[in-house]
Amino acid sequence: MSIRTVPSTLNRQSLLDLQRTNERLANNQQRISSGNRLVNPGDDPAAAAAIVDLGNSIEANNQFLKQIDSATSYLSPSEDAVNAAVNANMRLQELAVGAGGSTLSAADRASYLTEIDSIRTNLVSIANTQSQGKYLFAGKLTTTVPFTDAVPPALPAYNGDQGHINLDVTATQSVATNIPGDQVFANGGPGSASNFFQAIADLRVGITSNNLAQIQTASNNLTSVLDNLNQVLAELGGRQAGLLALKDTLSGFNVSLQSLQNTKQDTDYPQAAVEYSSDQTAQSATLSSMAKISKTNLFDYLA
Amino acid sequence: MPGLYAGLYVGLSGLKAQQSALDVVGHNIANVNTPGYTRQRATLAANQGQTEGQVYFGTGVSLTSVQGVRDKFLDLQIYQETARQTGANERLAGVTTVSTTLGNTGTTGLAAQIQNFFQGFQDLAAHPESSASRTNLLGQAQTMITGMQAQYRMLADQRNSDDQSVASLVTEVNALTDQIAQLNQRITGSVPKGSDSDAVDQRKTVTDSLAALVGINVSESINGDYQITLDSGSAVLVSGNSSFKLQTSPGGAALDNHLAVQSVMGASVVDVTGSIKNGQLGGKLDLRDNILAGYQRQLDQIAAGVAGQVNLLHRTGIAADGVTTGNDFFRTGVANGANGLPPSITAASFYKGMVNTLTVNAAVSANPSLIAAAGVAGVVGDNANANAIAKLQLATATVDTNGDGAGDSGPYSTSVGSLISDVGTTVQKWDAQNTTQQNLVTALQAQRDSVSGVSLDEEATNMMTLQRGYQASARFISVINQLTDELVNSFGK
Repeated sequence: MSIRTVPSTLNRQSLLDLQRTNERLANNQQRISSGNRLVNPGDDPAAAAAIVDLGNSIEANNQFLKQIDSATSYLSPSEDAVNAAVNANMRLQELAVGAGGSTLSAADRASYLTEIDSIRTNLVSIANTQSQGKYLFAGKLTTTVPFTDAVPPALPAYNGDQGHINLDVTATQSVATNIPGDQVFANGGPGSASNFFQAIADLRVGITSNNLAQIQTASNNLTSVLDNLNQVLAELGGRQAGLLALKDTLSGFNVSLQSLQNTKQDTDYPQAAVEYSSDQTAQSATLSSMAKISKTNLFDYLA
Repeated sequence: MPGLYAGLYVGLSGLKAQQSALDVVGHNIANVNTPGYTRQRATLAANQGQTEGQVYFGTGVSLTSVQGVRDKFLDLQIYQETARQTGANERLAGVTTVSTTLGNTGTTGLAAQIQNFFQGFQDLAAHPESSASRTNLLGQAQTMITGMQAQYRMLADQRNSDDQSVASLVTEVNALTDQIAQLNQRITGSVPKGSDSDAVDQRKTVTDSLAALVGINVSESINGDYQITLDSGSAVLVSGNSSFKLQTSPGGAALDNHLAVQSVMGASVVDVTGSIKNGQLGGKLDLRDNILAGYQRQLDQIAAGVAGQVNLLHRTGIAADGVTTGNDFFRTGVANGANGLPPSITAASFYKGMVNTLTVNAAVSANPSLIAAAGVAGVVGDNANANAIAKLQLATATVDTNGDGAGDSGPYSTSVGSLISDVGTTVQKWDAQNTTQQNLVTALQAQRDSVSGVSLDEEATNMMTLQRGYQASARFISVINQLTDELVNSFGK
């Protein structure tokens, strides 16, 4: 005995199936057109949450990359400034050797003073270098002019502090973006052998007082100053090299995170296309069979 | 032996019975497309015989009853499953509406906005002297607040619209239970009881509509009337000829000033807001009081996590003037408590209302230099506090999800992720349930159709049979007529 099947059953079932096919078609259409596998979060809640988490890590890394650029934008001009100071130091050493010649008259020696004074003035401006509105060599007092020039034998005064400005470049690692100016240009304070301004002042006093021994001492001190400057250069270079390596690491990390996020987020085109076309076939087959079945019943054949 | 005239009556009974049965076929065919119509079947039975000595002679046929062909237990099951299906469908529709906004995993979603806010602090750490980075930070804070409040408001709007539907659904339910009570009366009043098949059909259709509105339990008494209670059993809606109304009344703060649903049975008024689980009404109530309210709670918790933690650090920092300290970043007109949150917001209430009260401190937004980037007084380039606040975005235990006042979450992105995954799981759950129930209801309806539906092929066959029966009875009468003619006109000539 067969089950009684009446037209309303067929119609109801076909209608339900058609609605579902249409819904799937619409969803796959959206997947294909948007390129996004998740039409709504109900499609894969775990993946949706993971996408947010991955996105957060990627953005955090992007922000760290930005901080690295910021740090470099302070470290790199600092390095340039110290390089300029190194050049000034070399020129001063040449001048010291020249002025220390035992055959020079007092008047000839005095002729070196003009260049030494202009080098000192330049050095003060180098020490007062700014980047993006900040004085690079003022420690944390970034809006204070670090050095005010003074007439020798007085030394230019340091107005900054000993602070280091740190930027976070990973969740656990930070980098100092500055070197306080006194450690570069006035290392050890007044009287110290590696204090650049002290060496210049000593050289000037030696020349004006015609004191060869003092010129010689100043010349030796300039060499200690150079050692100190080179150490500072190495420090600045080292920090930038570290940042460069970190930048590579973070970028590489982001590439893998991104591809992980893509696998969770992106439409699988072949799959979506296959589903789409098979649903289309089902849809047109349902429509044509519905039209045929509802046409026939016994009354058609009764006289 | 009965006489010839008795034979005429036998034939007549055949004509009448076949014709009445044909009327039933006609009624079935006429109602082939009537929703909820149950096919009717005429029962023909032989009349009581006459005895002549020891021989019984039949006296023809009569139509003894017209009955609907139905399986009443199937009907009862369909009511229950219909209510579950509409309940699931309602929840699915409600959650889907909010899911695209809440579930935004992209760069305009909540997670990205919170992140941008903290990146504002990181940018400030790189340029603590710059007023541009302070203004940018305020902009990011405002975007985050606006984003959270827009999502919160969308949920509130959805809850209010559900609330309005509750009132109109209750009115519809009352109209339907009224009709069912009247139909109960018509059905039990028919003789024999329950023989009014069309009234039974009508009651089935009305009860189907009622089940779509509210989860019900239906039982049929011996008399044939329906007893209808809420599916939780907590209130009676129809009993025999009487119906009992539902009504709405203001639900007060416990329901966020939405409507409570009560059952009125004479003098006793019982609150049934929480006991309606299925049907559109149950779905709307669940959305309004549990599902959407739960998402709002999660938003409040996240907002409290951000505001509290940022404030606690911000108040220890030093503003750009190198002196001012003790300011909160987020605050309303009223000073915040020791936990960095407004005094009106409590952990015990799961930080209810936090999103709506979230504002940047008016003093800070009027004067961005009050943003406390520095950790040390008098040092303009210090960025220790900005660094510390920026670090919060990757810190754990920043959001309190269990209402004990202490953070217990992963980073903010995890809290947002769990909100998104909650929304997604809810959509998935009700989608699956809706599909299952839809399949079940469709299968049950197909089963009901296979018992009660009108099949035109079958009616055509019945029609032919009855037509032949009628023709044969007519032929029989004509034979008896010929015999009588023979007797009257030819006999004895």
